[in-house]
Amino acid sequence: MKGFLSKFKYHGLFIKMFMVTLVSIVSVALLTSLVTIQMSERLFMNTFSITNSKIISQIKANFESFNYSVVTATNNVLQNGVIKGFLTSPEMNTIGSLKSYYQANQQMERIQSNVAAYPVTMTITGINNKSYSTDSSYWPNSLYKLQNSELTMNTLVYPKRLLYQLDIENISGSFDVDPVIVASRALMERISGNQYGILYFAIRESDFKRFYASFTSGGNDVAILDRSGTVVSSNRQELIGQENHDLLRYAQEMEQQDLKYMDVNVLGKSSLVLSEYLPVYDFYLVNMIDKKEVLSEMVDFKTVALICVGIVLVALIIVFLISRRLTKSLTLLARQLPTIAENNFDNYITVTGSYEIKELGKAYNYMLDELNDYIKKLIQTQKDQRNAELSALQMQINPHFLYNTLASVKILVQQGNKEKAASTINSLISLLQNTVSNISETITVAQELVNLKNYVFINHVRYGDQIAVNYFIADDCYGYHVPKLIIQPFIENAFFHAFQERKDGHIYVLISREEQTLVCEVVDNGIGMEGYDHNNPAHTSIGTSHFFSGIGIRNVHDRINLLYGEDYGVEIVSHIGEGTRVKIRIPLQKT
Amino acid sequence: MELKKLLAVALASFVLLTACSTKENNVPDNGGAAAEGTKEVTVWAWDKAFNIGAMERASEAYKAKNPDSELKVNIVENAQADIIQKLNAGLNAGTTKSLPTIVLIEDYRAQSFLQAYPDAFFDLTDFITPGDFADYKIGPTSFDGKQYGVPFDSGVAGLYVRTDYLETAGYKVADLQNIDWKKFIEIGKAVKEKTGKAMLTQDPNDLGLIRMMVQSAGSWYLKEDGTTPNLAGNAALKEAAETYKELMEADIVKANSDWSQFVGGFNSGDVASIPTGNWITASVKAEASQSGKWAVVPFPKLSTTAGAVNASNLGGSSWYVMNVDGKEAAAEFLKQTFGSDVDLYQKLVTEIGAIGTLKAAAAGEAYQQADEFFGGQKIVEDFAKWTEQIPNVNYGMHTYAIEDILVVEMQNYLSGKAIDDVLKDAQAQAETQVK
Repeated sequence: MKGFLSKFKYHGLFIKMFMVTLVSIVSVALLTSLVTIQMSERLFMNTFSITNSKIISQIKANFESFNYSVVTATNNVLQNGVIKGFLTSPEMNTIGSLKSYYQANQQMERIQSNVAAYPVTMTITGINNKSYSTDSSYWPNSLYKLQNSELTMNTLVYPKRLLYQLDIENISGSFDVDPVIVASRALMERISGNQYGILYFAIRESDFKRFYASFTSGGNDVAILDRSGTVVSSNRQELIGQENHDLLRYAQEMEQQDLKYMDVNVLGKSSLVLSEYLPVYDFYLVNMIDKKEVLSEMVDFKTVALICVGIVLVALIIVFLISRRLTKSLTLLARQLPTIAENNFDNYITVTGSYEIKELGKAYNYMLDELNDYIKKLIQTQKDQRNAELSALQMQINPHFLYNTLASVKILVQQGNKEKAASTINSLISLLQNTVSNISETITVAQELVNLKNYVFINHVRYGDQIAVNYFIADDCYGYHVPKLIIQPFIENAFFHAFQERKDGHIYVLISREEQTLVCEVVDNGIGMEGYDHNNPAHTSIGTSHFFSGIGIRNVHDRINLLYGEDYGVEIVSHIGEGTRVKIRIPLQKT
Repeated sequence: MELKKLLAVALASFVLLTACSTKENNVPDNGGAAAEGTKEVTVWAWDKAFNIGAMERASEAYKAKNPDSELKVNIVENAQADIIQKLNAGLNAGTTKSLPTIVLIEDYRAQSFLQAYPDAFFDLTDFITPGDFADYKIGPTSFDGKQYGVPFDSGVAGLYVRTDYLETAGYKVADLQNIDWKKFIEIGKAVKEKTGKAMLTQDPNDLGLIRMMVQSAGSWYLKEDGTTPNLAGNAALKEAAETYKELMEADIVKANSDWSQFVGGFNSGDVASIPTGNWITASVKAEASQSGKWAVVPFPKLSTTAGAVNASNLGGSSWYVMNVDGKEAAAEFLKQTFGSDVDLYQKLVTEIGAIGTLKAAAAGEAYQQADEFFGGQKIVEDFAKWTEQIPNVNYGMHTYAIEDILVVEMQNYLSGKAIDDVLKDAQAQAETQVK
């Protein structure tokens, strides 16, 4: 988990870049295809509605020419005296009625030529109960039923109108339910208004639908509605005879508001509805276009979607590869950067990737170079500074010591102790020779020991030899190097500060080896140091103690720290009345 | 390097975009179903309850006999007028492409097709034995010595009578057996007098009654050759016309103008008899309340014309095989069904009410069945018996054309024109029209 997270951390840029591109590509693809599909849908629907309104006017023309034929035939029947006679004359003998039937037949056949273009049956019924039908094989099946049917009632209610109605009452035959559309008109005398019969034109619904059936197709349906909303005719057989008030309402709205088409839900399907009122029929011609079905023929959503998905996938792969390449070098850079500090600014980064990244890498490496240069210079400066300090320190010591020694030699000379004065001068010369000539370098423990003995000798000459100095040097330590005059200041301190209250005492100088450390100890049994903090010896300020003041004890510690690091330095343990122990730790050095 | 990559990406996108824009709307072309070879037989007929029903039963019978057969009988319903029109159109154009394998043609019209387009029909002589069928059916269905049709229903005529009205008028069914038209008119007058009902109903535009009378005397509108009009000097026609006028003058006829009025006439009890073909049985029986009140007696005969019998025919049709792919299969199919299957004919009688003309079928059980509607009379047996007596005439090519002339001339006759002049004028018109 953590590994994954850290991985994620390094790929953050790539993931962000990739996610942004992914979202953009997907949304662009989606939006573009949606908008395109919608636009093409709208365009298609517009075109479709225009085409269909033309088709509707064509259908309307078909209906009108049919109606024209029917009206012509109706007028012929109305003006025909023979037919009027046939329908009004009372019952007569066989020959007479045969003759009237024969004549009626002649007239009707002549008149039927008006509607000969259509498979129409003409039927007349008269007030004398006589009737004639040009072809009664399918309509009407019973004159008696016809006379009492709703169809006839409606005709008599509007005697001056040619009524078109759907009839399922009077179809003959028990087989196939093929409803009939009947145009009916009361026959009446023009002047008196006396009704003498009814004229019916029956056309099978299956023939009636030929007026429009050729314009229909899957999803493009036509329904003819009457004023009550009953479907009189439709290419969808199951709708015939059903009442569809929604459709009627749409048709009426379109007629009132003069709309070209409506986009509504019909029979559970989202459809485009076009409508035309057929005034002579008092029917609504309604064209229903099932958008889904019609569009599915035009727009292949599946292919569009597949192509879009394909493009998106390919684009994503390309984007993935490219951004991966771009960010890979950055990621590498990011991985390398945190390790710089770990290795003294020596971790140069590998310069790869695109131009920008390369430049960045080069600049970074250049910066590392500069940094390293600077640090080297800094270190050199610090070293120089330390040496300067050290020499300054030694320069400090020398006049002090020189003054004391020369004062002692003066006393010896005054006392007339020539030999002692000479050996003191010798010791001083040897000491000065060792120190002055060679300030910056280290000397062996053996040489340092010589220096110390010279120094102690000089002090003994000056202050007497009540304070004994004993040396305990481990045999294997003589060859190791120590900085010059590193122990001398502590012996000096012991001489001048540890034994202020008494004249005699001991100072021990111990040099030994502890693993890789050379330990030099200066132990006295003097009065000890005031202000020594037993609880926190490390924090005892060496420099501020009056015990060490004036002589560069602190400088010694700092010098060791500077030269060898924090692990080394000077430690002091002191107890009042018991003495002081100074421990100097420096690394083992053979040169 | 960078430029190269950029180009590659651009190219890839371009290819994809092009692929997108050149998308094609591949509508599978599933139109144009291939011909099914000879395994499908198309049949044209016109009456769902009658001849189409009969063909369906024949198809079932064939399937039962030949369970392994892959023959598919595809029956298409067309109005009779449409069939005539389509046949004429197709044959005139000289193509059989849109025509069926088997077609039903009315006997009166059969010759007009057979004589005009003999090559369009398949010779069934090897499949059908004419002697197995009623003689009178062979005239219309054959031409030039070749048998083209498989006779289907018999149009054998009978006189359907209301026994209750007759009894009121003082007659029994026995009094009407094998009568002539004079006797018929006499009875009719008595019935009208006693019951007030007309004896029969007639449509002035349909001379079916005259056709039946003429055939019962072995004559027709045309001579034996089938093309020469035979009106003037035709004794049978003359007597038939005179009888027709007598019927009308006796005032025992109720006029009608169409089929529904015709059926309404007897269903409502307005007429006492129906002289017509046996196919009216179903319509008569449709009025169940009149059960037991009907009987069928032999068709009245002409009294003076020589050779007149008490049997005639009205209508009837036969199956023909067109000279198209699958004709052999169709012929074999007809041979095994309408051509010989006695059991099928029993089914046709009981289930459809169609009386066939296969002589052997008359021996079947269904033909012996008594019918309670007709007072227990075995009417099918009687019809079958009369079928064999129907005189064989050649209906020729112009039956309906001549009838149209006669309809007009009959009106003149009824109005007082002399019969010889009527027939002479009709003959003259016919000769100019049909030549």
